[in-house]
Amino acid sequence: MSRTRGSLLTGLLWTAPWWLGFLLWLALPLGLSLYISFCDYPLLRPPVFVGAKNYTDLAADPLFARVIANTFLYALLAIPLGTVVAVLLAILLNQPVRGQSIYRACIFVPTIVPLVAVAVVWMWLLNPEFGLVNSALALVGLPGPLWLESPRWAMLALVFVSLWLVGSPVVIYLAGLQDIPLTLYEAARIDGASPLRQFWHVTLPGLSPVILFNVIIGVIASWQVFALPYVMWRTQRGPGNSVYFYTMYLYDNAFQFLKMGYASAMAWVQFLIILALTGLVFRLSRRHVHYRGS
Amino acid sequence: MNLRAALLLTLLGLPAVLLLAFGPRGAHDVPADRVVLRYWEKWTGVESVPMERIVERFNRTVGADEGIWVEYIAVSNVEKRTLIATAGGDPPDIAGLFDKIIPQFADQGALLPLDQLAVEHEIDLAGLRPIWLEICRYDGRLYALPSTPYTIGLYYNRRLFREAGLDPDQPPRTIAAFDECVRRLTRRDDGGAITQLGFTTSPGMLGWWHWVWPMFFDAQLWDGQRYRLDTPRARAAYDWIAARRDELGRPQLLRFEATAGAIEGMQNPFLAERLAMVFQGPWMSNWIASYAPELDYGVAPFPSVTAERRNVFASSDVFVIPRGARHPREALRFLRYLMRQDVLEELCRLQCKVSPFREPRPDFFAGHPNPDIAVFEQMADSPHAFGYPAMPMFAEVNTELLHLLENVIRGTLPPGQAVTASQQHVDAIVQRYQDMARRREAAP
Repeated sequence: MSRTRGSLLTGLLWTAPWWLGFLLWLALPLGLSLYISFCDYPLLRPPVFVGAKNYTDLAADPLFARVIANTFLYALLAIPLGTVVAVLLAILLNQPVRGQSIYRACIFVPTIVPLVAVAVVWMWLLNPEFGLVNSALALVGLPGPLWLESPRWAMLALVFVSLWLVGSPVVIYLAGLQDIPLTLYEAARIDGASPLRQFWHVTLPGLSPVILFNVIIGVIASWQVFALPYVMWRTQRGPGNSVYFYTMYLYDNAFQFLKMGYASAMAWVQFLIILALTGLVFRLSRRHVHYRGS
Repeated sequence: MNLRAALLLTLLGLPAVLLLAFGPRGAHDVPADRVVLRYWEKWTGVESVPMERIVERFNRTVGADEGIWVEYIAVSNVEKRTLIATAGGDPPDIAGLFDKIIPQFADQGALLPLDQLAVEHEIDLAGLRPIWLEICRYDGRLYALPSTPYTIGLYYNRRLFREAGLDPDQPPRTIAAFDECVRRLTRRDDGGAITQLGFTTSPGMLGWWHWVWPMFFDAQLWDGQRYRLDTPRARAAYDWIAARRDELGRPQLLRFEATAGAIEGMQNPFLAERLAMVFQGPWMSNWIASYAPELDYGVAPFPSVTAERRNVFASSDVFVIPRGARHPREALRFLRYLMRQDVLEELCRLQCKVSPFREPRPDFFAGHPNPDIAVFEQMADSPHAFGYPAMPMFAEVNTELLHLLENVIRGTLPPGQAVTASQQHVDAIVQRYQDMARRREAAP
């Protein structure tokens, strides 16, 4: 008994840095934020319990509905587009050509540029009169839109800019591609499969666990989008609130309006949405993701 | 550990140990027996230089006599950091905030009231212009002291006035005259695109104070209980904005406004002489001197709906003592030094702002970088000068007002409907805040 107990104590002692940190910096703040979500809490006064009022207010808040719709739309546009572009780029970068590592670096380097710098550069590139994007469109006779100032185009502009940061998933896809056994391609070739069929029947299934991983990361990231729209639009919401996202509204409620209770309720709703979406993605992926070990 | 590993560890570790022992130190050496006063301020770069100089002089003179050492710390997002530090029980001793934040902070009990403390520490408030004290009050109590105040006026391009057949010595005094100027100052190319604009209320093109326009139609927005957008005067302002947009062409205006770039530089449309008139503060002359020194411009009060009433927007950066500050007595000693006319006017002059005093010293005008500073000074004397609405929930209301202006500018809704919708949202925001306040009072 004493030996078992001693082992337990020793184990607890040696793992104390982790579980103490977990309790203090994760479990306690989580619990407090859950409690605060049922309170009025303006930060400098003690919280006052109001029951589920913050949650019922959220249900009736038109701006809350708007930021949810905006965030869903962004996710629906950015994740599929980002996935297609990243997979295609990874396949290109996987080809044995001269200067391969230079091309790979070119794709990855933009992801290490600070987001604020990226935002400022793209504000210029998308300027309707002086920007390079509209100048390029003018060369082929197309009238460039008001990218950042039109409610119709602002969201597309942001999705377009988000592709600039596609380097990280490309690196992961690249690793995934190199993990697909060459024997599968050889077998496909012997069976007479064209390159397109090889891509469809070998590459995509082989890459499917990596795609699933990147889609889940993309879902989580899209529900946390903040810095780019915050910097790129002077009103920090875009024309007609068209690029006002969930995390931005949460931040405004917490630190601009000092409604910590309301913001905490938003944070818990966000957590549940991300959890539900991740669960949905896992469920939908069951028939389409192929694990080599299974 | 073998010899190679030990050698490697020593080589890596030695520089770190040497840096720790002899490397640069982050903090100044504070003389013994001084109370260290933490002063957080939002100014950085060029703006912080004058205050750093003043702090250094204080530490060398008055601070040495009174045993106080002020540590100037430039802080970004100073209001949020001050708020969080105050909530955490470790605020700075003095913070430099914006006046618009005073009601919100004061209503949360985050600031020390200064009426009595100022008297006790012989800070002379009688010499200040009333408007600057007014904007530092909330609910009848003084919570801040003005640091660098400013009024906002109409900058206009005299050359473009002449080219449009307007008299540059007679800037418009009424909204009607102003509209005529805008019409004549707006130019288009053969395709109808605007190449030069008279004026715009767009937040994207130097229209920073998007809530302010009804005030030039003599509206009274906040009465202490309700923010009134649905009065005839406030509605007239939004009708005016919508009518001018219709007249000049919304798509053309949006395209022109979308080209605005950085304010400090030649992307500033006023400096580039693409925008003929702009609603801005006295600091604008610094940018003009730096980027467009040849610009021929004038400054006047922004027109009001009638020539008799001179509505002027006045605002200020302010000093506050957060509640829970460790050294309030020393903070007040430092504030007394800062509020000396020679010290504060030096700061205001170097930051290109107006003087907060009723009678500025002659050298304030002589060395001021803005040649039109007297115009801004006179504006502060207007009996109809106004500051931000003294409402604790203004931050949230202000976002709705931005949305309202965007709706009117873009024509998303007719101005009447847009105002009605925003009035409902603003009422809800105010109501919710008032309910919260009642619940807090009722709580044990």
